Amino acid sequence: MKRLPLLWILAVGLLILALAAPVLLRNQQYWLFIAIQAYFWAMLASSWALLAGYAGQFSFGHIAFMAIAAYTSGILGRDLGWSPVSGIIAGTLMAGVVGLFIGYLCLRLRRTYLALFTIAFAEIFRLAVNAELDLTGGPMGLYIDYLLDTTSYVPYYYIMLGLLLGSLGFMYWLANSRFGLFFRSIREDEEAAAAMGVHIVRYKIMAFVVTSMIAGLAGAVDHHLIGFIAPTELIIGRMSLVIAMAVIGGVESLLGAALGAIFIHFSLEWLQQIPVPASLMPKLIAMQPTLEKFGLGVGDRGLMTYAWRMVAFGLLLMLTLRFWRNGLIHPIIDRLTRQRARKETVAKRVQAAEVESS
Amino acid sequence: MQITGQYLMNLILNGLLIGCIYGLMAMGLTLIFSVLGIVSFAHGEFYMIGGYVVYYLLEVFTDLHPLLAILAAGLVTFLIGIVFERLFLQPMAKGKIERPGEYAILVTFGLAFFLQYLMAGIVGPHSKRADRFFDLPEVDLGWLTATATTLKIWELPFGASRLAAAAIAVLLLLVMIYFIKRTWVGKGLQAVSQDREAAAVIGINPLDMNTLAFGLGTMLAGLSGATLVNVFAWVPWVGVPASSKAFVVIVLGGMGSIPGAMLGGLIIGIVEALGSGLLPDPGRALAYKDGFGLLLFALVLLLKPTGLFGREL
Amino acid sequence: MSANIELDVRGVYKNFGGLQALNGVNFSIRGNELIGLIGPNGAGKTTLTNVLDGVYKPSSGEVRLNGRRIDGLPPYEIARRGLGRTFQVTRAFRRMTVMENMLVPAMALHPTARQRDFHAKAMEVLEFLTIEHLTNEYGRSLSGGQQKLLELGRLLMLDPDIIILDEPFAGVHPKLMETIYEYIRTVHEQGKAFIIISHDMDSIFTLSKRLLVLNFGELIADGDPAEVKEDPAVIEAYLGEEEEEGVPAVIPAGRLAEGPALSEAEGPALSEAEGTEEAPDA
Repeated sequence: MKRLPLLWILAVGLLILALAAPVLLRNQQYWLFIAIQAYFWAMLASSWALLAGYAGQFSFGHIAFMAIAAYTSGILGRDLGWSPVSGIIAGTLMAGVVGLFIGYLCLRLRRTYLALFTIAFAEIFRLAVNAELDLTGGPMGLYIDYLLDTTSYVPYYYIMLGLLLGSLGFMYWLANSRFGLFFRSIREDEEAAAAMGVHIVRYKIMAFVVTSMIAGLAGAVDHHLIGFIAPTELIIGRMSLVIAMAVIGGVESLLGAALGAIFIHFSLEWLQQIPVPASLMPKLIAMQPTLEKFGLGVGDRGLMTYAWRMVAFGLLLMLTLRFWRNGLIHPIIDRLTRQRARKETVAKRVQAAEVESS
Repeated sequence: MQITGQYLMNLILNGLLIGCIYGLMAMGLTLIFSVLGIVSFAHGEFYMIGGYVVYYLLEVFTDLHPLLAILAAGLVTFLIGIVFERLFLQPMAKGKIERPGEYAILVTFGLAFFLQYLMAGIVGPHSKRADRFFDLPEVDLGWLTATATTLKIWELPFGASRLAAAAIAVLLLLVMIYFIKRTWVGKGLQAVSQDREAAAVIGINPLDMNTLAFGLGTMLAGLSGATLVNVFAWVPWVGVPASSKAFVVIVLGGMGSIPGAMLGGLIIGIVEALGSGLLPDPGRALAYKDGFGLLLFALVLLLKPTGLFGREL
Repeated sequence: MSANIELDVRGVYKNFGGLQALNGVNFSIRGNELIGLIGPNGAGKTTLTNVLDGVYKPSSGEVRLNGRRIDGLPPYEIARRGLGRTFQVTRAFRRMTVMENMLVPAMALHPTARQRDFHAKAMEVLEFLTIEHLTNEYGRSLSGGQQKLLELGRLLMLDPDIIILDEPFAGVHPKLMETIYEYIRTVHEQGKAFIIISHDMDSIFTLSKRLLVLNFGELIADGDPAEVKEDPAVIEAYLGEEEEEGVPAVIPAGRLAEGPALSEAEGPALSEAEGTEEAPDA
């Protein structure tokens, strides 16, 4: 197939880029950190894509699982002296257990009810974290031990990249296996799937457990890097971001969602301050009072966008849903892998077959 | 802290007051569901915008009567609602959207995201609060006393602003009920919510009704926020707990049921007030305030999703 | 694939709130029978199917398949035990390919098998149904008739003992009818039992060896099609009046009812009431 090499070239190219990034970036800690965070979001977005895009469970509690693992690990470290690695394992397992519980509760909930219920779950969790000061540090947050004894982000970079690739690999295997078939049949038509023998209960719960564990793993590791977690990370705006990333990337594509997350995260960083050519800077500075009225600002290199970059992505999310349902990145990947033949209408082929047989 | 009968009464009555607003918001949500068949995940954001409109109008036009500001807020949220509906929801009704159920959830959620950060961009990081709309007249009838800020009936204090908000909410509720039951347009809405095809056959355009219903729904949310901006501190995320409350109310009262929305609102108001009032630890009580409603909500979802009155979602 | 098929339906009642959808249904199936299930709109045919298939739990009564109780079991468990069904509205998996559609039941039934183990069998079935050229097409690209065939093929991958077809002929192009007849006859000869729900009297009388007639949730007739045709109770159920002069004593051939009923009970909506689930494709 002619098209396969192109995809492979791109994939390998991306991989090499990712592996060599620290060198290419000349170890600039700032960009390494951004990349690590991008991989973190990519793990969240792609696991959500598996849960929602494949298995059809549009859960809004994903961020909560992320935080459950991080808090568990942090608390175990603080109170029982557990090492970060043990904490991460425990945290991930905890996220899985809660995922199992929530998945079980959600079994009989239809789509909108499931969305509402998981929103309630996430909010209750956030309120509890805020309220239980002794346990979680409340609004002040929780300090978490560092995973590694180093000031460089390079090892963390590879750890996060490794986890991302590993979880993507695992999820891809899952998606292409019988489990993927079952997940998708559940999303397509749960009743028909049941009539075809698909064990709905088992696979819905499996979807929740697997994806909550991946989210938990990402959360625990990332926060052992950052060293701190606070309940502000649990606001619904964060969940919206995960959803935006997955949808814009392509909610039915794990890789699409992951790339969407990376793209959006880097964009958000870059958009924080839109560079303006030095010649125009004085004009910009002159406009400062007007700009500030509209929530914008002037930085040392250009236009400060503050909340407006999020507005842009909110709009992009809505437009993508309306016009490009498969996402923006997924169709590109799709074109590189699927045969063109499928573009022909069925009628044409039947006609051809009939002509042949007559 | 003494838990006296009076204290309980106070809690319950204050809960009822706030419950009226919840009911109003929920009514908007239930109207949208009845006619369009979707749950709007951006409902709280219209509540938020309503509050901000009032705040800014009163800031800029200091002589403006608060009631006019509130009406303006209603108008603004109505307009935003119908624009959104036409652009993003109408295609669903016309059958142009695949997997409309998922789409409705995601696109309204996206709208919420968009509106939250839009207002964050416009209003900045500090919370706002409008000045009290009305000062009560000074009155002393023995059993009933009033100062500018507080009304006391048999020693039970009620905040003037909350009272005003509740009064406006009840008034609006009655207006809406009249509108739906008595006017031609209102009956059109009823017709479409019950049977779209039949309504179309007798000349009611379901698409226009969709737009109207959504606009009215967002308007009610906006009006709710408008009445409360002088009670609570306002930030762009103030709509999130409001959304949750509205969801709780309609699930509790039953989707698509207007009396259910009202009743649900009152119940949630009471549950919240009692919950936070009776919990021994005041710090915790405050933090968990929104949680009582949510917990009730989760339980209702699991045990009786059709709520007290409603029809299947 | 055995002649030892036993289905026993005993005293099955089903009510939804105030509506009594099934009113004490009793019948048994032994071996590979070919049964037609008919009745006016709203008689309870789909409800009965849903009870047999596990979508509903009977309010009372029991259903036994090969001696073991299946009432109240979830649909996927009942499917595993050998009872398969189709739906009135074709429910192929739209965003999965034809092959994937076929593999789902095969994989569900065989936990340790690999997908490619069933590839050949799936192709065989697809060839038999003349849609093997569509293997890699998505379900939604298929025409209505092709989707129906896909559903039938999918069912075979489940290898059930008893197959319930709900309105298999509804809206079907005559050319396709033949294929469906062939399917039913061939599979029946292979030893499977059929319950066919249809309003298409021609087909029912052509195919079935036994007729069950449901009316208001009760079985008002059970037996040889020729006899059942003349049963006054049956005629009354369909025509709503007693035999009179000028009124045919025999149910005329051809379509009696207006077409398939969309739903036969006011029970809780099985699928979402959120407007059209799928946008019609071009």
